[in-house]
Amino acid sequence: MEITQVSTLFNPELILFDVTANDRTELLKKLSQKLKEKGYVRESFEEAVIEREKVYPTGLPTPGVSVALPHTDSIHVLKPVILIANLKRPVAFKEMGNGIRDILAELVFMLAINQPEKQIEVLKKLMSIFSKKDVLLAIKEAKNPSKVLEILKEQMN
Amino acid sequence: MKRIIVACGSGVATSQTVASKVAELCEQRGIMAEVEAVDIKSLDAHIKNCDLYISITPYVKEDYGVPTISGIPFLTGVGMEEAMKEVERILKVK
Repeated sequence: MEITQVSTLFNPELILFDVTANDRTELLKKLSQKLKEKGYVRESFEEAVIEREKVYPTGLPTPGVSVALPHTDSIHVLKPVILIANLKRPVAFKEMGNGIRDILAELVFMLAINQPEKQIEVLKKLMSIFSKKDVLLAIKEAKNPSKVLEILKEQMN
Repeated sequence: MKRIIVACGSGVATSQTVASKVAELCEQRGIMAEVEAVDIKSLDAHIKNCDLYISITPYVKEDYGVPTISGIPFLTGVGMEEAMKEVERILKVK
């Protein structure tokens, strides 16, 4: 089985900085549109990801910098990619697995995944970053896509 | 062989990741377990014949009658050691 590599799951044009949104839905809309513009997801992704987030929230109380990992069913995905949004101001997501507590997310990793069995290694490595405060802070402080990619490659390879 | 089920809303990203992490940890500890990620919509069909359900959704329809723990520690790394001890404890008594 061909294993998806780290570098192919990120696109420098989909590593965004100073993203602003008044709330979660506005943010998800904005990010979904970026994915759609670049041809990674179907038109239906936006609504599906917004709806899924309501029922199965994805905020995580990670150390140092809280994150959210919005995603949805693979039928809405055309090509796999992981979008990263560094938010200008935190946006409230509900906590995954709990759904009550607000998580003020500062980094959003929007996952457009269509073949999890191929992409699992990258996802696992991505998740392993979430327990590393220093790495999350470094991504948060990074000023350009190449710096973010450099950190990710260092951590994930 | 023990059977562990992990479910999330899409069965795509998070449940796969948690399942794979749990499988790796079980192997390291010599726990014989099969860990499977499932879509929440097919949970009913899978849960009857599992020894442990690892939940990463806030959605609990009913008491499934099987031991259930939260899968969040396997994503954040926070409290993962304790969660793994719980997995061991549950699988041992079953």
